[in-house]
Amino acid sequence: MSHRSDTVHLPCGQMRGQCLGNQGIHTQPVEVMLHFKLTVEKHMVQLVTMRQQQDLVPEEQRRHPATGEQEALLDGLMYQLVNLLQSGAAGGLGLQPSCPSLDVRGVVGGGQRAQSSRQPDQPVHQRNDPEATFVSQHLSNRGIDISALFQASFQDYKLYQGDKYDEDKNTLGFINLGISENKLCLDLMTERLSQSDMNVIEDVLLQYPDWSGQPFLWEEVARFLTYYCKAPAQLDPENVVVLNGCCSVFSTLAVVLCDPGEHRCTSPSVPAHCGQVGQALLEATLTGKKVRGLILINPQNPLGDVYSRDSLKEYLEFAKRYNLHVIIDEIYMLSVFDESITFHSLLGMESLPDPNRTHVIWGTSKDFGISGFCFGVLYTQNKKVASAVSSFGYRHGISGIAQYKLYRLLRDREWIDRVYLPTYCSRLQRAHRYITKKLKALGISFLNHGSGLYVWINLKVYLDLWTFEEERLLHRRFLDNKLILSRGKTYMCKEPGWIRVVFADKPLRLKQAMHRFYQVLETQKLELRVKQLESAQCE
Amino acid sequence: MFTLPQEESRALAPCPGPASTQDLDSNYGDGLERERSRKPDRKLPELCDSTTMLSSDSSYLSSRGRVIKWFWDSAEEGYRTYHMDEYDEDKNPSGIINLGTSENKLCFDLLSRRLSQSDMLRVEPSLLQYPDWRGHLFLREEVARFLSFYCKSPTPLKPENVVVLNGCASLFSALATVLCEVGEAFLIPAPYYGAITQHVYLYGNVRLVCVYLDSEVTGLDTRPFQLTVEKLEMALQRANSEGVKVKGLILINPHNPLGDIYSPGELRDYLEFAKRHKLHVMVDEVYMLSVFEKSVAYRSVLSLEGLPDPQRTHVMWATSKDFGMSGLRFGTLYTENRDVATAVASLCRYHGLSGLVQYQMAQLLRDHDWINQVYLPENHARLKAAHSYVAGELRALGIPFLSRGAGFFIWVDLRKFLPEATFKEEMLLWRRFLDNKVLLSCGKTFECKEPGWFRLVFSDKAHRLCLGMRRVWQVLEGTSQVAEEPPSCQTEEPRSRHRHGKREEQHVKERTCPRNKQE
Repeated sequence: MSHRSDTVHLPCGQMRGQCLGNQGIHTQPVEVMLHFKLTVEKHMVQLVTMRQQQDLVPEEQRRHPATGEQEALLDGLMYQLVNLLQSGAAGGLGLQPSCPSLDVRGVVGGGQRAQSSRQPDQPVHQRNDPEATFVSQHLSNRGIDISALFQASFQDYKLYQGDKYDEDKNTLGFINLGISENKLCLDLMTERLSQSDMNVIEDVLLQYPDWSGQPFLWEEVARFLTYYCKAPAQLDPENVVVLNGCCSVFSTLAVVLCDPGEHRCTSPSVPAHCGQVGQALLEATLTGKKVRGLILINPQNPLGDVYSRDSLKEYLEFAKRYNLHVIIDEIYMLSVFDESITFHSLLGMESLPDPNRTHVIWGTSKDFGISGFCFGVLYTQNKKVASAVSSFGYRHGISGIAQYKLYRLLRDREWIDRVYLPTYCSRLQRAHRYITKKLKALGISFLNHGSGLYVWINLKVYLDLWTFEEERLLHRRFLDNKLILSRGKTYMCKEPGWIRVVFADKPLRLKQAMHRFYQVLETQKLELRVKQLESAQCE
Repeated sequence: MFTLPQEESRALAPCPGPASTQDLDSNYGDGLERERSRKPDRKLPELCDSTTMLSSDSSYLSSRGRVIKWFWDSAEEGYRTYHMDEYDEDKNPSGIINLGTSENKLCFDLLSRRLSQSDMLRVEPSLLQYPDWRGHLFLREEVARFLSFYCKSPTPLKPENVVVLNGCASLFSALATVLCEVGEAFLIPAPYYGAITQHVYLYGNVRLVCVYLDSEVTGLDTRPFQLTVEKLEMALQRANSEGVKVKGLILINPHNPLGDIYSPGELRDYLEFAKRHKLHVMVDEVYMLSVFEKSVAYRSVLSLEGLPDPQRTHVMWATSKDFGMSGLRFGTLYTENRDVATAVASLCRYHGLSGLVQYQMAQLLRDHDWINQVYLPENHARLKAAHSYVAGELRALGIPFLSRGAGFFIWVDLRKFLPEATFKEEMLLWRRFLDNKVLLSCGKTFECKEPGWFRLVFSDKAHRLCLGMRRVWQVLEGTSQVAEEPPSCQTEEPRSRHRHGKREEQHVKERTCPRNKQE
């Protein structure tokens, strides 16, 4: 395979960084550059603090903005230059600022929550390996990258597909608590979808549709969201675009809102407040990245957190100040099982600070547990965005037959309110109670604030060293024990040792899974102790 | 030959400059979205106009977002007009009749009945969960069996070479992305189904290099718009000399809009050409079961013994046309190249289709009895009847046309109705059809280089088709009661027809004779 990483178009900073790492190291210039870099960095930090302080000053009283911008631009350029020189000469030293490209999560990773544990560092090694299976003379560079990313993300999933746990037929198969899939209500859904009202075939369903969805479905979605998001006024069907899944909505939004190389801030894996997001933006700007929007996930994945109305407002105001688009993913909005918690949809707000830059995403994958339906919704008041996204509908269209079934499903308010949601909620609660009890018994700390299908657990104490490599090994160990979980690295978590465990599964499977979980941790503990003892004996 | 500006340069510039405007316009002449007919002569300058392109409103979109929206808005004009005023026998008898969209509306009764049968209604938990992104295995197995049978493949096709996604548009877009770098190109014989321009460009940033074909039969050609290896070679050379890197060749067989098919010999020649130049060949066979003329011996590329370059041959098929279900969104790729299959599957997360629909498709495709004994004979008979009617009407009007018994459309030569051989005149004529409440697709939409060709879809119910043809006739006869018609046109029309009258008579003969020989 030729070395073509410099032309790789897929936004994947990590791949690029590591590819450069193979080159030779020249110590002398590196030292000079390192010094230069440190000086620049120091200057940058000063500038950051200065600008932060300045942010508190009302806009009119600020220093001439153009000067500041030019300064930042100049600094950004210098910084980039240093990094470029340095990475070219000594990429292997790992001196680059760690700036994992946010695009990966924003665009490709839009659906990452749906997948089994992804290992973003893997494709790199494989790409550089001449024997790697997916390096093909037939594919373009980006084709190779797409394949690599996919194979890395879905390796475990593929294993799982071929060897699924079954309580009768395959008791030794994989149990998947890695994919955030709601498997609690498949019985209810199967029953509902088998009813005769679902099976209507009309000419219009078989013909070319309007690419933003069938009008009857927009109307139903608008009504549905008005009701469940508690919108102050009836939502407008014209603002609804339906596509084949939320991945597609994310991907199309990224294309129509950003140009190649531009970025969006995502809500990080630790609870953030406005200051932190602001800081991220500032850092991004200073490193020469153009940020076009902010992605929020509410209820949060993987934290299971719900934003308060006030913090939501704060984020929106922040975004408005910087002319940022806000994309809010509310795909878990009906999966709030703690009754003491109130979820506030963005669509339920009396007034939005910047309605033309606020875009809401929802789908049926999680709340109704029908990920196989491939159905995602965008609600935006911005007609231009809606129409630009619609123009992609051709590539992300949903079958008319599926659209009809969804329409029937969403309009059956009585079934949803009286049968589905109460059952779903109580099953979630039960599963959550079960898993948290087990975790507490094991003395494992975890986060979940009453929503979503997962708990975010801290296994730091089970790592020999506090590194992502150790996290990966532990994850591997679970896998060897036929248990699929997702690790923190997949969520860009900064601290190694966090794992997401999905609990929205049948009690029997969950029990079996927790048994395996326990076994792995016991072995891990034992080995750690042996190691500690060995090293103590050495001294 | 076009030179699309680099995406990067366009992305940086808030508004394409005059040079790039020209380029975009000529390339994208008409990126048809829905394959509806549309206004052909859209001008990018409008978009570039400071009031629209640079208005604060548009600042919500990225530059590529604006290009996308421009595509959409301009491509949609015909369809939007149609949509607002759709013909309905009872409710809106003076509405627009759509003979522009290539959709088979003849067999909804058969399909509705089949899809409503009880075997279709199964709901299983596994169908509601995340699938294998290539498509459920049961469906891929069925597709492999189906294609083995209907494409008459020498050996059984393999399910692992099948990738299922939501339609051929997605497939074109995915293939372009995984086979080409930004700015690289595919060869395509023109005229061609113009929506492909958008499919390969919008995500993949891949361009098309046209192999322009003529209606005149010259040299070694035996029929109008004939594709030859020489023409392919020339187009490739020209692209190379202009620094455009060509990565593949797109073939549509049966052809849209020509309704033509390639003989096995021709097909093999094109494949050999591609092999010589290490080009991928994407063969779009979406009309393969819509060959309604029994005398036409259609051969799928999958039926060839020993493909010249199997690793670079990728076949596309879908149910949109052959099963008249464009709304179902089901398309499939067959390729022996595992890397390509995997790379396309990697993008399937964005192009997935519902598990329940996958189940229904598998049930449909496995029902060979119904397909062979009920659906295909009936579908072909209805297509043939509709075709004979339209062909007869056109002959009676003395209008030359091409059609060899495949597809849903006739490629009609209306050049004699243009006072001047320009695309502006073509568009005016297109608009006069629309004003007279009949929607057609004009040649510009298909990158035809000769103004005056139109594609007329005949796969519609008899009453709509008759009415549609009457409206077409009215416009051509100049008897239409369109108020807005400028007086100059009325005076020019008879004069031009008078002028060309003799020549055209002969032209008809020239055009129909060679075809008769072939048939």
